[in-house]
Amino acid sequence: MILQGQAFEPFTQEPIRLIGDGGEWVGPFELDLEPEKLRGFYLDMLLGRLIDERMSRLQRQGKTSFVAPSAGHEAAQVGMAHALRRGHDWLYPYYRDVALLTALGMPLIEFVGQVMGTRADPAKARQMPYHPGSRELNVFTVASPIASHVPPAVGTALAMKLSGRSEVVLCTFGDGATSEGDWHAGVNLAGAQGAPIVFACENNGYAISVDFKKQTGSDNIAVKAQSYGMPGYLVDGMDVLASYFVARDAVERAREGVGPSLIEFVVYRYGGHSSADDDARYRPREEVEAWRRRDPLARYRRFLERRDLWDDAAEEQARAELGTQLQDAITRAEAAGPAPVEWMFDDVYAEVPARLVRQRRELLG
Amino acid sequence: MSVQTMAQAIATTLDSEMARDERVVVIGEDVGKRGGVFLATDKLFDKYGPDRVIDSPLSEAAIIGAALGMAVYGIRPVAEIQFADYVFPGFDQLVSQVAKVRYRSGGAFAAPLVVRMPSGGGVRGGHHHSQNPDAHFVHTAGLKVVYPSTPADSAGLLRAAIRDDDPVVVMEPRRLYRAVKEEVPEGDHVVAIGEAAVRREGDDVVLVSYGGSMAETLKAADALQEQGIRPHVLDLRSLQPWDEDAVLAAAARVGRVVLVSESPRTAGFMAEVSATIVEEVMDSLLAPPLRVTGFDTPYPYAQDREYLPSPNRILRAVERVLTY
Repeated sequence: MILQGQAFEPFTQEPIRLIGDGGEWVGPFELDLEPEKLRGFYLDMLLGRLIDERMSRLQRQGKTSFVAPSAGHEAAQVGMAHALRRGHDWLYPYYRDVALLTALGMPLIEFVGQVMGTRADPAKARQMPYHPGSRELNVFTVASPIASHVPPAVGTALAMKLSGRSEVVLCTFGDGATSEGDWHAGVNLAGAQGAPIVFACENNGYAISVDFKKQTGSDNIAVKAQSYGMPGYLVDGMDVLASYFVARDAVERAREGVGPSLIEFVVYRYGGHSSADDDARYRPREEVEAWRRRDPLARYRRFLERRDLWDDAAEEQARAELGTQLQDAITRAEAAGPAPVEWMFDDVYAEVPARLVRQRRELLG
Repeated sequence: MSVQTMAQAIATTLDSEMARDERVVVIGEDVGKRGGVFLATDKLFDKYGPDRVIDSPLSEAAIIGAALGMAVYGIRPVAEIQFADYVFPGFDQLVSQVAKVRYRSGGAFAAPLVVRMPSGGGVRGGHHHSQNPDAHFVHTAGLKVVYPSTPADSAGLLRAAIRDDDPVVVMEPRRLYRAVKEEVPEGDHVVAIGEAAVRREGDDVVLVSYGGSMAETLKAADALQEQGIRPHVLDLRSLQPWDEDAVLAAAARVGRVVLVSESPRTAGFMAEVSATIVEEVMDSLLAPPLRVTGFDTPYPYAQDREYLPSPNRILRAVERVLTY
């Protein structure tokens, strides 16, 4: 389905952009989004940025063991979130999708509870931080083994097709994931079956320290789509409107039964791979600074300001409000208290088997 | 009731479950028009079509991973891995995703799915068509593992697995697929997961086995009976959970136990059974439990029969526990 005439060409040499460096609209069609929607994109990106900063502080304070920095990825993530029907479509995310999850509607207390590993984690504090999920929002719980969620994402899409519903799966991953066998297995199956799924690579150029040139001989990730029989879109993932419109086209294409697509969002992570990483060992500071000058929030703020949709007062107010919400979530997550020991034995199976009952008794008396 | 081989019983059970519940689908390599290389999905494609009998690409990771994605959505997939030896490209899906999805999501998502795989030796297949990797699955919390040895149990356990709310690995002894025919109950014939079957009643020695090795174990039992020795023979049928009550009660009553499995010995399933017997009923034992197993080698080709626990090896172990 082509929307509003803005069908995008797959396999472009340069990333698709709709906002110029100065915040000017450079799209080939007329933008017709409501001001509230346009401001909403910014607020969602800002929240992602604030969470990133705040969680890193929590980690340094010893209140969480691990964070996966996401600053620099916000535009791609927020664009994708708005392309989905919330609670209708499914998301198979990876661990760096903070702004994607919160923009999709994940309550802050759930995200922060998961990061802090307290009773506030709806998934009972079973996983390391940055591994959330949500049954209500159809967000499949993040798993650490890279690309292992790709074949399951395709399975869900096939189930949707079988059920004759109009839902779509969005499956995200980093550039490193595309080297895994499971990535090929999943994307290949989706192509063979015409599954209603959109694959989205948030390519920040590094899999921990291994740079893109060592990851693949391909010019980019998008071209790989060719070999699976689906379109591949190369997108400026630091441009929230390009991210939104390309993702929306791909999602609606899948919804109409046309088939899967692959989108590569060109992004950069300002922070290390994780709080356990030392990125100064493999990236020059000048490179990080150069990418920061293309910051997705700053560029989009210029776009909004050109249209009189944003100013310093709005910025100040938004930061204060979002900061308060975030602090409130942290306070509540901490106050919820530690996860009880006996939770360890639940949810291995639908019912606790006799052996585990005895092992629980061995531990708890 | 109808007289069926194990392979026929599996196909018939899949058919009846697909007819009963439209959420049940089959996915695997060659499961469509071909009906599976062992004909375990025979005629399903003609009856249910390509949407419910899905010929997958040649990718075990895709088969098991897709099954998981279907299961969390509400479909009840039965995945076929063509040979247990080929499960390893999909092993990460089983271990990292299928086994853990309920746990890591705090119960938000579950994976009620079945992964069937023909397993074990005695088919002159060499090490990549003969292995019996049951211990890997038993060692993975979150999976259930069943291993029938008869056509009727294959039907009953498969039906139980399909209806179970947890992921179940169904291992099928390929050398018994067509070895025997027996009456297979129709309709709602379910064998509860975790319940052993008593194949012979006796007081002199307990023989415990499962899957393909039940054939040799029963031959050994017949030989013992001819000698006037009365073995108590248990077919475990399920490995995770396994019927500790039945094994421990028999071990305590008789005091002499031989454990038979064709898997490699070291850290094999029978090591767990042996350790549990010793921990729980040591005072009642008259001899240490002995294992008769496959060897700690890759599965050989030329020595296909010698690798497997033979009736003679079982009888020698019985003699040792009787004369201890």
